[in-house]
Amino acid sequence: MGNRFFRHLILCFFVPVALTSAATAMQQQEETIVEEKQKGLEFSLYAEDNEQNCLRCHGKLVFSITDTVSGLSRKELMAEHNFISPDAFYNSVHWSFSCLDCHSDGFKSFPHAIETRFETGWGCLDCHGYDPTYAQYQFEEIDAEYQRSIHHTATDGAFTCWQCHDAHYYNPLARESGSGRKNILKSNEMCLHCHGNPDIIGLVTEKELTMVLPRHEWLPDPDRHLAAVRCIDCHTRMNDSILVAHEVMSADSAVNTCVDCHSQNSILMGTLYKYVSKETRDQKGFVNGVIFSNDSYVIGANRSKFISLTGMIIIALVLLIAGVHTAIRIIIKPVKKYYE
Amino acid sequence: MSNNFYHYPGWVRLWHLINAILCLFLIVTGFSMLYSDPENALVVKFQRAVAIHNVCGVLLTISYTLFLFGNLFTPNGRNYLISLKGLGTRLWKQGYFYAFGYFKGEKAPFPVGSDRKFNPLQQVSYIGVMYLVLPMLFITGWALMFPEFILKKFLGLSGIFLTDQFHVVLGFLVVVFLFIHIYVSTMGKSMVSNFRSIVTGWQESH
Repeated sequence: MGNRFFRHLILCFFVPVALTSAATAMQQQEETIVEEKQKGLEFSLYAEDNEQNCLRCHGKLVFSITDTVSGLSRKELMAEHNFISPDAFYNSVHWSFSCLDCHSDGFKSFPHAIETRFETGWGCLDCHGYDPTYAQYQFEEIDAEYQRSIHHTATDGAFTCWQCHDAHYYNPLARESGSGRKNILKSNEMCLHCHGNPDIIGLVTEKELTMVLPRHEWLPDPDRHLAAVRCIDCHTRMNDSILVAHEVMSADSAVNTCVDCHSQNSILMGTLYKYVSKETRDQKGFVNGVIFSNDSYVIGANRSKFISLTGMIIIALVLLIAGVHTAIRIIIKPVKKYYE
Repeated sequence: MSNNFYHYPGWVRLWHLINAILCLFLIVTGFSMLYSDPENALVVKFQRAVAIHNVCGVLLTISYTLFLFGNLFTPNGRNYLISLKGLGTRLWKQGYFYAFGYFKGEKAPFPVGSDRKFNPLQQVSYIGVMYLVLPMLFITGWALMFPEFILKKFLGLSGIFLTDQFHVVLGFLVVVFLFIHIYVSTMGKSMVSNFRSIVTGWQESH
């Protein structure tokens, strides 16, 4: 029976080993995907077609047009928002697509018909929603969160997935940015793309943009906070059942007290902790990512006042009893027959 | 008349030494992390405490696994097998001895000898710590390094928070055990005789 007990105990310790192996396997899988994507241009069945048609103009900052009647040619600048970087596209998760998989045949002719400007772009859910292949990414829950978010309710639907996730260039953040801190920076850049640019934000709302940095001056050491925490950690409703919460709240509802993070049951424990821990491990591996550069702990976040106080009281009582016992030993000087 | 006997084999002494060092590091860094705040680095700076705590936790898991194998394949494991029959009476006798009998010069009810390594109180507490508290500490500690495997919610509370608090409670239990363990070790033939024996392997007796 003793041996059976031991065997069960030993089994318990194969679980962490198995977890480590799983993490390594996940990392290897990520590396394979990255390698595959780097070959996107080489392997895409539509690369040549894309290059000869859409990207001939949209893939260049300067493109040429020719009048087929007069034979005149001239060069023009491609508008920044219509430019698609071929390198970035072929390194995105959508590298294998033809432009016309998502854009209508109306774009085949040039100049593009005016109707094409009013076409609604595909959203993430149009391809990824309700598909068991993508179930792990929980697109449906993300969409439900988005529908409740200020991004949706305050913009009358003008704000779409694309404002943050340009499908031409989309990659999971960690794959693009690497370690935890860079990851946070990339995530915040996504927000600042609009919230740091009054012109762009005008696409979705008439509301005047409040500058981001002055609004965060109340934070002690704001630079450090903004480098260590994602905007969404304070500005979304906490939901640790999805990797990245999408229910962006109004500024008034954002986290604005220190104890929300630096205290027991910190909101960061359910969001940033899990996110940073996983992404850093995927990028740097177990030893470098988890053991030596684990940025996912938050000062004060693992403290329960009750448990800390109770623990210290118990330790104090044990020391008191030991002290009293010692004092009696010194006073009485018992005859020791302990080993007799 | 001196009747010393060989009490602790080499591998147990080596494991005990490694265990003690790692536990001390874990306790110091654990407290540093638990009571840190941005303005106050308690003993060890927060980031350094995190790294040291993680390294020591992993090493302690390895050391513990070797200890388990040692107990499985050597006679040392027998010391951790407890007979439940009459356990309550034995615990009471030993507790009474520590609280009163010791001072009255009574004989120890379960003296340590070549055939008995632990008295009943030691046996119960060592089994509790080695086979219950430490495994749960390892599981919760490793889980905190792989947080996506932790239950998202349990009884309406964040699974990570609960795992963390459980880890802290278990850590406190180890600290309490350590203090009692060290204190009881001073109750040998002399104040230092038990400490000497875990270093040399030889237990002093009358």
